[in-house]
Amino acid sequence: MASSKSNAVNWFLHRITGTFLVFMLITHFWVQHYDHSVASVTTDVVAQEGELPTYSDEAAAGVKAKFGADAEVTPYNVVMQRLADPVYAVLWKGFNILFLIVALHHGFYGLNNVLTDYIRNPLGRVMARVLSWSVALVLLIIGLYSVITAGW
Amino acid sequence: MDLTVKIKRYNPEKDDAPHWESYEVPADPLDSALALLLHVKWHIDGTLSLRKSCAHGICGSDAMQINGENKLACSVLVKDLVDDSGETVTFAPLPSAPVIKDLVIDQSRFFEKYRSVKPWLINDTPEPERERPQSPEEHEIIEDATKCIMCGACTHACPSTWADPDYLGPAAMLKAYRYTFDTRDDGTEERLDIVDSPDGLWKCYTIFNCNQACPKEIDITRWLSALKRRAVTSSASTAA
Repeated sequence: MASSKSNAVNWFLHRITGTFLVFMLITHFWVQHYDHSVASVTTDVVAQEGELPTYSDEAAAGVKAKFGADAEVTPYNVVMQRLADPVYAVLWKGFNILFLIVALHHGFYGLNNVLTDYIRNPLGRVMARVLSWSVALVLLIIGLYSVITAGW
Repeated sequence: MDLTVKIKRYNPEKDDAPHWESYEVPADPLDSALALLLHVKWHIDGTLSLRKSCAHGICGSDAMQINGENKLACSVLVKDLVDDSGETVTFAPLPSAPVIKDLVIDQSRFFEKYRSVKPWLINDTPEPERERPQSPEEHEIIEDATKCIMCGACTHACPSTWADPDYLGPAAMLKAYRYTFDTRDDGTEERLDIVDSPDGLWKCYTIFNCNQACPKEIDITRWLSALKRRAVTSSASTAA
């Protein structure tokens, strides 16, 4: 009988989240940096509700100074528009929440492995585990709050 | 050809720390690496300590680090060592193991881990009149794993072992695979309980150093992955 301390489930989820991450990262990079119009009708919303927040002039100037005058300085604006989209907002919020959970589990399971590689004292291991999953939980709450409230 | 043989020497009664010593050794390209060490021991410095027994890759006594890689000294030829690294061949004890003297490591921890996975047939059903049969197809599943000679090259090549000396390591877990997947064995659950632990199966990050080090070319990582999948399905069926 596998004990309740078994890491089998986490190991298995690590494979699943790894596979998910490949596709989610590609999707994320594509809509974030290459084609902002994927599953989005926000142009109309912006016309109706006015401009959503954008980068400050200083930030934009910094990006252009670093990457050239042609650099596009729109990510924040684009993200906010997408998450306020009247048709697809739920889809993108769902995508981002899943992305958040998948990335946090994958990353923090990996971090736990690294920690237990070097911390061999049982109490130290429990503390490292509790601490790292607590950080993950805090990041999850901040992430969920950001994604759910953004644009709404 | 004449070779420079560099050996990491350590005598705990005299030395504060291990140090390298060089010896000039005449060699034939078709000599084994073990022959170089025996030349040093028999003709240059009799105080050199090393383990060897059969000298034919069966007993697994002479696993050591040769030119930076874990190998069996008897199973590697001089011509395959000097091609890559010039005319110097280096010998060191298996990394991460406590050294008793020179190339002799303390294997007690290694065999303790081996015994911990219950490397024997567990079957409490009444003994049949003749034998417990196993078909060729059933044997095929564990055939590769049965080739293990317990030399320790894999476990001492594993970065997870280097980081965590308590990690069971590939050799012990390969034995766990070998018996768990033996169709005559009934000890799956009690063996999984041992390998599915904080210092067990999940510290295998499929780095493949074990595969690279194995002198018997066993596909160790593959069998450990099969054992992981078995642990997952077992844990899922327990939960259900």
